[in-house]
Amino acid sequence: MTLTEIIWCKYCNTVNYLDPYTFWNWKGKVKCAGCDRVYYVHIIQGFYYEGPKEMPPGEPYDIMPLYADKPLDGYERFRPGTPGKTRPYTCLPREIYLGKADVVKFSIRGRPVRGWAPQPPSSGLAGSQGFKWDIEKLAPDVWKEYQVKLRKGEVREW
Amino acid sequence: MREKVKPEIKFEDIPGPEELELEKMPFEEYCRKIFDPKKTFEKPEALKGIRWLSCTMYIFTPHSVSNLAELGAECIKIEMPRVGDPMRHTSPFNEAYLYPLHDTRPLTGTGLGFMNANLNEYFITLDYHRPEAREIVYNLVRMSDGLTECYRPGTFYRWGIGYKQLMEINPRFIYVWGGGFGYGPKVFGGSYDILGQAQGGLASITGFHEDFGGHPVKHTNWVIDWYSGTMITVGILAALYWRRKTGLGTMIEFSQVHCSTRACGYGIPLYGRFGIVRQRWGNWDTQLCVHGIIRTGKSDYPDDPNPQLREEARYVMVSAFQDQDFRELCYVIGRPDLWEKYKTHKERLKPEAQMEIYGALEQWAADKTRSEVVEILTNAGLLAMPVMNDKEVYECQHFRERGTIRWIEDPIFGDVLVQGGFSVGMLSETPRRVRWVWRPVGADNIRVYHELLGYPISKIKEWYEKGII
Repeated sequence: MTLTEIIWCKYCNTVNYLDPYTFWNWKGKVKCAGCDRVYYVHIIQGFYYEGPKEMPPGEPYDIMPLYADKPLDGYERFRPGTPGKTRPYTCLPREIYLGKADVVKFSIRGRPVRGWAPQPPSSGLAGSQGFKWDIEKLAPDVWKEYQVKLRKGEVREW
Repeated sequence: MREKVKPEIKFEDIPGPEELELEKMPFEEYCRKIFDPKKTFEKPEALKGIRWLSCTMYIFTPHSVSNLAELGAECIKIEMPRVGDPMRHTSPFNEAYLYPLHDTRPLTGTGLGFMNANLNEYFITLDYHRPEAREIVYNLVRMSDGLTECYRPGTFYRWGIGYKQLMEINPRFIYVWGGGFGYGPKVFGGSYDILGQAQGGLASITGFHEDFGGHPVKHTNWVIDWYSGTMITVGILAALYWRRKTGLGTMIEFSQVHCSTRACGYGIPLYGRFGIVRQRWGNWDTQLCVHGIIRTGKSDYPDDPNPQLREEARYVMVSAFQDQDFRELCYVIGRPDLWEKYKTHKERLKPEAQMEIYGALEQWAADKTRSEVVEILTNAGLLAMPVMNDKEVYECQHFRERGTIRWIEDPIFGDVLVQGGFSVGMLSETPRRVRWVWRPVGADNIRVYHELLGYPISKIKEWYEKGII
């Protein structure tokens, strides 16, 4: 028995990763990301019960690997979501999750929220702050935009 | 002459005080009246008059103080100058910030991860390492009821501001040390939420069994941080009551890890009695069947670009463990054979039975959306509820009317959606409230050092320039 982390296609030297199928009780046909050959596997409690067994050419497949690479070719990779090669990985974060803070000036109900930088200095002595955000003075452009939203009826209660 | 007969007056007809009038209301109407979220700010606060110092970081210990602040205590958070609590810099994927953090760092904000752990507090800065800091802390302690800190064991003692030193200044002082492990063989171990969940035994029973494609998992949110913080607050309230009776302070030593152990339920006594180690069963229940979460075939938002909606909005909680309910369920899904096979609850609890029953349920639901499954089962008189996400919680009228989800016009940061403690354990006379979500680093330096402690402005300016505050 072999741990079912991978299907290593000997024809194109592609390592197909089935994650998270390693943990699963699952059987079905997987297409190699490198050469489109189809392999049948039957996994019970994380181990191969049967396969990987090469299927005849043209055999329909159930899933594609999550990602794949070619270690003998300098780790050429098929990243998740490559059309026709790998499965889409729906846990992928949104583009804006890549380390750059998102700029937001209004909440989802259309009211001003202080969610952008830089902002003009507004504290007093030793960093002290009052209890009022004077939007009109500190962010006149946001204030103007807010007035337009109010006129258009884009500001909601919820 | 005939004696005048007094007309009989029934007790219920006597106009009474308002409380008696309220008694006559239907229960729902009564609750809506006395818990009305719109009346929150017209009512007094239970802990007004208590002043608490928060020398805390992240979620675990700050939450213990935030609970007090929600109930009306005056809480002063002490942070490192110009930097603040590290949790301010822990935003989901460096994305969601509110600005400003401090004028000296115009491009840095406070992340939404800071939310709910520091509500209604006043924020000052102080570098405890500096020799000048000791006297400032002593002065704060003289005017306060207690302090919560989360530093490594003995750190505050080494700095001259530990419980033993502070109780000499203020014998009524209540001191909380929120250590990761607390004293004992692992005293120097720091803790995080996930470490608490793992070490305390909770993670071993969270998630699906490997047979079902699972392994131990932590809760996505820092649930043990929040839980431990709340348990500290319980300790503080007890200590305050004890002080009222005796006039004496208390030291509270609190281990986050042990909070996780407490949440393990019957696992520990089970081991003590039989030597059996409780297993991980995920959404399924070892005591009740059917009583779990199933996956349906279609999402309620098939075209939404957000995968959390497009892919994940397909789970339903189903409960039908009593015989007649289980029978109904089997007939609804077209599997009366399952009822014939598992007629008693004892039979249904067996792992093999659960695997077959839940498998059949998911098979039945494979061509249906989450809403369809809920509708069919509810119409059949069974308990079914969609697994709701943040969007659905936001849109749910029940949460809105009770004030669980509220929009706050924060005085500094503008429009912020918060889910506070207001609706968990509502207090009719002294409701919890959120006045502001947090304030920038050092925003209350003048208010506290000058207006409360009476230090001259020139001194505060000097401290600020030297980086002491």
